[in-house]
Amino acid sequence: VSYDNATALQPGRQKTPSLDSSCFSSPPVNFLQELPSYRSIARRRTAILSRDKQSGTLLKPTDCYSSRLEGGITENLNSQCIRKYALNISEKRRLRDIQETQMKYLSEWDQWKRYSSKSWKRFLEKAREMTTHLELWREDIRSIEGKFGTGIQSYFSFLRFLVLLNLVIFLIIFMLVLLPILLTKYKITNSSFVLIPFKDMDIQCTAYPISSSGLIYFYSYIIDLLSGTGFLEGTSLFYGHYTIDGVKFQNFTYDLPLAYLLSTIAYLALSLLWIVKRSVEGFKINLIRSEEHFQSYCNKIFAGWDFCITNRSTADLKHSSLRYELRADLEEERIRQKIAERTSEETIRIYSLRLFLNCIVLAVLVVCFYAIYIATIFSQEHMKKEIDKMVFGENLLILYLPSIVITLANFITPVIFAKIIHYEDYSPGFEIRLTILRCVFMRLATICVLVFTLGSKITSCDNGTCELCGYNQKLYPCWETQVGQEMYKLMIFDFIIILAVTLFVDFPRKLLVTYCSSWKLIQCWGQQEFAIPDNVLGIVYGQTICWIGAFFSPLLPAIATLKFIIIFYVKELSLLYTCRPSPRQFRASNSNFFFLLVLLIGLCLAIIPLTISMSRIPSSKACGPFTNFNTTWEVIPRTVSTFPSSLQSLVHGITSEAFAVPFFMIICLIMFYFIALAGAHKRVVDQLREQLSLVRKHRPGGREWHCCGPLSHLPPKVYLQAWPSAASLIH
Amino acid sequence: MGQCLRYQMHWEDLEEYQALTFLTRNEILCIHDTFLKLCPPGKYYKEATLTMDQVSSLPALRVNPFRDRICRVFSHNDVFSFEDVLGMASVFSEQACPSLKIEYAFRIYDFNENGFIDEEDLQRIALRLLNTDDVSEDLLMDLTKHVLSESDLDNDNMLSFSEFEHAMAKSPDFMNSFRIHFWGC
Repeated sequence: VSYDNATALQPGRQKTPSLDSSCFSSPPVNFLQELPSYRSIARRRTAILSRDKQSGTLLKPTDCYSSRLEGGITENLNSQCIRKYALNISEKRRLRDIQETQMKYLSEWDQWKRYSSKSWKRFLEKAREMTTHLELWREDIRSIEGKFGTGIQSYFSFLRFLVLLNLVIFLIIFMLVLLPILLTKYKITNSSFVLIPFKDMDIQCTAYPISSSGLIYFYSYIIDLLSGTGFLEGTSLFYGHYTIDGVKFQNFTYDLPLAYLLSTIAYLALSLLWIVKRSVEGFKINLIRSEEHFQSYCNKIFAGWDFCITNRSTADLKHSSLRYELRADLEEERIRQKIAERTSEETIRIYSLRLFLNCIVLAVLVVCFYAIYIATIFSQEHMKKEIDKMVFGENLLILYLPSIVITLANFITPVIFAKIIHYEDYSPGFEIRLTILRCVFMRLATICVLVFTLGSKITSCDNGTCELCGYNQKLYPCWETQVGQEMYKLMIFDFIIILAVTLFVDFPRKLLVTYCSSWKLIQCWGQQEFAIPDNVLGIVYGQTICWIGAFFSPLLPAIATLKFIIIFYVKELSLLYTCRPSPRQFRASNSNFFFLLVLLIGLCLAIIPLTISMSRIPSSKACGPFTNFNTTWEVIPRTVSTFPSSLQSLVHGITSEAFAVPFFMIICLIMFYFIALAGAHKRVVDQLREQLSLVRKHRPGGREWHCCGPLSHLPPKVYLQAWPSAASLIH
Repeated sequence: MGQCLRYQMHWEDLEEYQALTFLTRNEILCIHDTFLKLCPPGKYYKEATLTMDQVSSLPALRVNPFRDRICRVFSHNDVFSFEDVLGMASVFSEQACPSLKIEYAFRIYDFNENGFIDEEDLQRIALRLLNTDDVSEDLLMDLTKHVLSESDLDNDNMLSFSEFEHAMAKSPDFMNSFRIHFWGC
């Protein structure tokens, strides 16, 4: 559309920018310059080259650009993908024909370059299309998204991510630890095990009495299956099975202790990297924002409606949730205003009340941790009794006592926290976040308390210190296996609880609500809502157990994978048949960030007990690959000492203080530099915003822009009306 | 509802549509099937058109509060040809690039079609989202004021395209929510 046509446009009548036949009279290059998206590209390029440009006429096609620019821009245009243009298909077709005729003017080399880049792009697309078919549970998650919105869909995507993560962790452990052993055991390769007995060792440390009994009650099999004792103890499920120092192949000896340790480090590092990579988007957005609250009004108004909703009832729910959200946000604004206007006496009163309530929260946490401590000690002491002296139920209760106490604590404390936070007088959004944070901490810290209790029991003997073997070898001849058994029990119990809650609480509730809806109590209670935070905490709890337990029980990630797969289907069924969507819905972007943050907290809390047990507690001498080392970590220094001396001195240099301190200082300096840079950028952004509003204010009539040289006598409004994206050029 | 002449799509046409839109093969064929079911009898699919009502009552758009605006933006002369429907599906597909979605979102949200999203447009958007008559003037004014304070950079009480683009680039939910993937498959 040349500017002759533009004057003919009546103001106020928007015509979708399209190309009509008058364009073909002008040369092809000019025609291409009319396209809105092209113009925004041109604007970006001219911003870089603007120092050489004469005048700012960005609207008149022919005298706008110097020929140097034209050539460059045309080339840029041609390499752009056609689909990205905001035109309809027939116009794109014409554009493509023009592009192809233009190609004839190019050299052979350019033609070949363009052709190969196009075919490469097409190949990538086909590959991407193929891989989307491989995506696990794609159809299920899509249908959930259509019916329940993107908040709940993000929970199921998160569950799928955990299934894949556990599968990859298991593959790592399989490759590094299980495969050589299986190859040797089943005589697939011509290899043999290497066993090196340690010379100066007290015979008491290496005694490992595996209970082999004659007559076994049949229910002891069930107990063994549920608690990992008995017939399961010596299997490859637990650490104790891997009492091998190496596997001797034809050309080399495979160092199993080193491989075992490296597999642990590898899966922890992989988990960390994968989680951080997945959450980079959420972090970036969070860091850019200067506002306190995560979701802005722009986001809610323009991106508030999920266009993929197809269901009438879901649409009604979305409307009501938007109503709720927008009203709640404005309410929060008002409360924040009120808080800012508090008098100093009120502030003092509120803060002292908060201090008191936080002490209560701490007291609740301490009580729970102490209860878990007592339960663990009780369970460990009484587990050593003979099986046949106990009744079946009592036996199981003792074995599962720590798990039961942890689960009870995790049911009760969220209720207490929700009650307490009402009195603390925070804004509603902050209330929700603080409650969730407290519940997260509670859930994940309970596992740590359990592991530390076990650790303290393992390293405490009757006479105080354990000088003989470094650990309590009477009660725990093979303590890693026993820690592995505790983790195994936690995982099985967690799985049973999730199934039981779904079967015995969710489904009956739905049946009651459907068939006995006349009772007042049932009406009050209502149908189940899919509570996202609780469900996410549940699966993060399971994943934390898996991370801690994978060192002590190498097959645990495989069990976790199966468990999460079953949980996916169970939760999906529960969602579809028993839940109604809650009026207050989580947003997908907020959810992804929240889930990965909680998972990261779980990973950090899992690394702590692992590092302490690997480096502080002496490894058991009766079983496992580390019988010849003092602690598990000792494998690394011993391996380093077998390196050539130059490499050894390099490693020693890197790990010494002379290297670490300057390295740390340089990292601090770099961090301060980036913080200062971010601050400077923010100041520049503020200044530019002010400048924009000043420029607007100082132009009388509002809408005139100085840039149009030869065209400044024309009312720019005409252009602005026709081309929304052309208006961007003016800016 | 009559059926169009049941021509299979030619392979070259399919390839061309794949190159010109962001849709996959299966999606194009799906839309082709849906289009054939709805268009009037006796016409070749490339010449047949659908009315705005027919497109508005597609399952994908039936409950969308902005369906009239979507139909207006993507139709030509108040009717939809097959290629118009494909173009619409391409913009809303998962693989579409952000700049394309932002461009069309701006056109959809510009109710009075003056090239800017002004207060009147924002109030209409809010009303469509809330979908209730029980909304006070104050609430709408508050909402518009907040939206403008966040994204109006030059203080003229309207959003131009670049301000809208800037706001949507920062918005974390835009790409996820501006998607439709159920076209009758």
